[in-house]
Amino acid sequence: MKRIYDNWQDKLPAGKSGSHLYEEFELRARNVATEVFRVRTFVEARGIIANLAELVNAEKAVVANGPLQQAAGIVRALKSAGVAVYSKPGELREHVATADMGISSVEFGIAETGSVCQNAYAIEDRLVSSLPPIHVALLNSNNIVPGIDDALDVVSESFDRGYMSFITGPSRTADIERVLTIGVHGPIRFIVVAVDEEVA
Amino acid sequence: MMEAQKRNIKKEIEEKLNDNILRSALERFAREYPAAREKALENIEDVDALRESLRDMKRDTVAHIEEVADTFEAEALKRGIKVFRAADGNELRNYVLNLCKEKGVKRVVKSKSMASEEVDLSPFLEKAGLSVKETDLGEWIISLAGHKPSHMVLPAIHLNRYQVSEYFSRELDESIEPDIAFMVQTARVNLRQEFLQADMGITGANFGIAENGSIGLVTNEGNGRLVTTLPPIHVVIIGYEKLIPTIKDALPILRLLPRGATAQLMSSYMSIIGGPTPVMVKEDGKWVETQKEIHYILLDNGRLGAAHDDRLKEIYQCVRCASCLNVCPVYALVGGHVYGGHTYAGGIGAILTSFLSGMGEFEQFNELCIGCRRCTEVCPGMIDIPGLIEELRRRSVKKHGLPFVMGRISSIISNRRLFHGLLRVASTAQKPFKSGSVVRHLPLFLSGLTEGRSLPTIAETPLRDCISEVIKKIDNPVRRVGFFSGCTMDFVFPETGKNVIRVLQDLDMEVVFPDGQGCCGKPVSATGDVEYTKRIAKQNIKAFEDANVDVIVCACPTGVEQIREYAALLKDESDWAARAQTISSQIREFSSFVAEEYRKTGRLKKADGPHNIKVTYHDSCHLKRVLGVYKEPRQLLETVGECELVEMHNADKCCGMSGAFGVTHANLSIPILKEKMDNIKDTGAQIVACACSGCMVQLQGGVDQQAPGVKMKHIADILAENIRD
Repeated sequence: MKRIYDNWQDKLPAGKSGSHLYEEFELRARNVATEVFRVRTFVEARGIIANLAELVNAEKAVVANGPLQQAAGIVRALKSAGVAVYSKPGELREHVATADMGISSVEFGIAETGSVCQNAYAIEDRLVSSLPPIHVALLNSNNIVPGIDDALDVVSESFDRGYMSFITGPSRTADIERVLTIGVHGPIRFIVVAVDEEVA
Repeated sequence: MMEAQKRNIKKEIEEKLNDNILRSALERFAREYPAAREKALENIEDVDALRESLRDMKRDTVAHIEEVADTFEAEALKRGIKVFRAADGNELRNYVLNLCKEKGVKRVVKSKSMASEEVDLSPFLEKAGLSVKETDLGEWIISLAGHKPSHMVLPAIHLNRYQVSEYFSRELDESIEPDIAFMVQTARVNLRQEFLQADMGITGANFGIAENGSIGLVTNEGNGRLVTTLPPIHVVIIGYEKLIPTIKDALPILRLLPRGATAQLMSSYMSIIGGPTPVMVKEDGKWVETQKEIHYILLDNGRLGAAHDDRLKEIYQCVRCASCLNVCPVYALVGGHVYGGHTYAGGIGAILTSFLSGMGEFEQFNELCIGCRRCTEVCPGMIDIPGLIEELRRRSVKKHGLPFVMGRISSIISNRRLFHGLLRVASTAQKPFKSGSVVRHLPLFLSGLTEGRSLPTIAETPLRDCISEVIKKIDNPVRRVGFFSGCTMDFVFPETGKNVIRVLQDLDMEVVFPDGQGCCGKPVSATGDVEYTKRIAKQNIKAFEDANVDVIVCACPTGVEQIREYAALLKDESDWAARAQTISSQIREFSSFVAEEYRKTGRLKKADGPHNIKVTYHDSCHLKRVLGVYKEPRQLLETVGECELVEMHNADKCCGMSGAFGVTHANLSIPILKEKMDNIKDTGAQIVACACSGCMVQLQGGVDQQAPGVKMKHIADILAENIRD
C-alpha cells in the first residue's frame, strides 16, 4: 500500500496531545453518531472487529492493510470468522462496492470536534472508508490532539501532496425538510476502535 | 439582462408569500437556526476574535491576490496538476468540454460546485451529449425538479418530502414513498452506479491553498470523496476568492463554516487534496492502479476586478456558509428564488450577482435588503452586506440615474420648504380618514399608498409649530443642546418630540430647536442619490451653526447615523469639510446621552418599585447594530419605579419598517411586523418601548390592529411622564 508520509505521529504536538484527551474526543465523536470503543490491546481490537462482523452478518470485508490492522491481525481474524476478506488493490476494488464493511486505520483524533484524521493517499484507504455501509477505523488512543488548530499544525508539517481527510461521523444529510438523516453516499455507520497498545 | 428586465419581482414575491410549503419551512428554520448556531459555537472561546482572524486573513490575501494565485498555480503545476485560468464562463465551459472530448469522457459526476452553477456548466455539457449527474442530494433533487437552488447550503429547502417523492418517482419510474430515510437510501442506491461508472468527477473547492497547490473540500454526504476517488479524471472549479496562502489559514474557515452553515462542529468530511493520487482503472478486464489526472480551473468571471475595488473586495471574505440568509427576515419570508433565481441567494447573493451577472440583475432585487444588519452579526467574514448593497445602489444611481418617481421624491425632500408644505397638506388631506391617532390608507411621506395596514397620521400641528409650549428658560444651564428631531418626530410624533425636550430640560440643559433643520437625508441617500443628500446635509449644518450649541441630540438612531456620515459625505468640499466634521462630532443619540447624564448625576439606578406596569423593549436595528446602544434604554426604563422590564423573544429582530421599506414592500413588512407583535403579546406587557421614530411608526400601526391592549411609547415619553415637577 502506497502512502506518501507514514510518520504523522512524530509531528503530534509534544505535551499537548495524548490519551488524556480521549474522554473529550469520545464525547464529541458520539455526539456526531460515531460509535467509539476503547481497548487496551490489539488482541482486544481484533476481538471487537470480529464480533462486529458477526453481529452485522458481514459476508464480505475490505481491508486497507495499514500498520494497525497488521498489528491487530485483522485479516486473519476476519477470515477465520468466515468472512471473505479483500485487501490487495485489484481484488479490493473489485469487491469494495458490494462489501459489508471496510476497515482502515487513521492517524490521529481531534478532541474539539470528535474527528479523526486519515492519510488517504492510498486508494485502498479511500475506497474502504467511502463505499461500504460500515467503516471501522483503528486509532491509536495516544494520538489525540486538542483542537483543529493543532490538527492543522500537524497537517501543515507533514502534508505536501496527496489526499488527507478529517472524518467526523458517518455521512449525513439534511437536504429534505432539514431532517437529519444518517447514511447518504458514504458510510451509514462509522466505528472507531481506539487502541492503547502501540505498534511494536 | 433582457430576461432580467422581463421579470416581475413584485409578482414573484407575492407567489412566494403564498407558497405555504416554503413559508412554513423557512419559518421553522428561522426559528431554530440562531439557537443551533449558538450551541455549535459553545466551545469557541472568542467568536468575534475568530471572525476577525478570518476577515483579516482574507483581506491580506485579496490585497495581493495575483501573487497568491501565481503561487497556487506554480505549486499545483509542480505536483503534476494542470491549471487553467478561465476569464469567464465561456472559457470554462469550453475547456471542460474539450477535455471531455479529448479523453473520451461520457459520464460525469459532480459534487457541489456553486461556481459551476454560476456559469451553467451542467446544461452546457448535457447539450453536448454528456451525462452529468449532480450527486449532492439537494442538488440532485433540484436538478430533477428543474429548479435553481433556493439556498446556498440547503438548495432544496423550498420543497417538502411529498414533492421530492414525486420527482423521485418520475425519475426512477416507480412509486417512491414520501419517507425521508427511504428516499435518502433510494438516492444512495441510484447514484452509486453513477459514481462507479463515471469517467470524470467535477467538484468545487471550499479553499485553495497556495503554499502547496492543494484544495480543501468540506462535505457531509460522502459524495465529495467518491467523486474525487473513483473517476480517473478530477476537475476542480475554484473561484479566486477561495484562495488562501497556507494550510494554517484554513483554521478560521474550518471553525466557522460548519458551525455557521449547519451548526456542526465539523462537517463529516474535510479533505485536502493536492497532486495526483492513485486511482484504479480497468484494463483488459483487470483492475490496475494508475495516477489520477487533476485539472484546476481558476475562475475569474468578475472576481479579479472586484479584488481591486476598494469596497467590493469585501466579497472575498465570504465562505458561502449562508449564515446571512439564515437570519435574514426577508429571506425567511420569500426564500432564495426571488433574488434572481441565481446560484447565490439573499443579500450576499445580491452582491455576488451584481458583479457576476451585471448590475441589471442587481437592480431587480437590491431593494429586498431591509438594512436591519442582523447578517453582520453572524457573518464569519464580517462582511458589511447592507453597506455593500447601499454602495452598489449608489453606483447604479450614478450610472443610470434614479427612476423618475424616486428622483422627484429626492428633489422634493431636499427642498425643505416644499417638503414641509406638502406634509402640512397631507395632514389636512387625511382628515376624513382619521381614527384615533391612526389612519388607514394614508400616503406616508409621499411614498405612495399601501394596503392592509394602519399608518400613523401626520399631526395637525408639527413639533416646529408648537415648540414654544415646552421650551423653558433654564437658569445656569449645564449645556446648550440643539435638538434635531428628524421628520417623523416633527410631523408624526410631536408629543414625543416635546418629551425629549422635557427630559433634557429636566437635566438642567437649555434646549434649542433650529427652525432651519429638515430631513436628515437618509431617505434620499438610501436611494443612492449623493447630490441631493449633500444639499440636505448643508442645510442642516447651517441651521445648527447658527444655533451655536455644544451638542446636538437626536432621538432617532437613523438621524444620528446619517448626521455622523456628513463628515465623510462632504470631506472633499473645502468650504464644508470642517463644518461637516463639527456637526458629525456633535451629534448624540438620545437614550445613550441621557443615560450618561443620569449616571453623572447618580440617577441611573434601578428604582425600588412598585413595578406595576410591564414594559418590553424593542431594539431598533440601527440603534443596536450601528450605534451599539442596547443596554442604556433598558437601564433608563429601570429607573422608572412603575416599570417592570420584561424581555420579548428576538427583541433585536427588525420590526419590518426600515425607512421606506415598510411602505414600498408592505407585503413583506407586514408579516415581519406580525411576528414582532406576537413576541410582544407573549410577554404580557402593557407597554412596548422603543427609542427610534421609524420603529414607532411600525409598532404603532401594529399595536393598533393586532394588540389594542398594548401602548407604544418612546423611551422619552416614559421618562418625561416620570419627571416629578
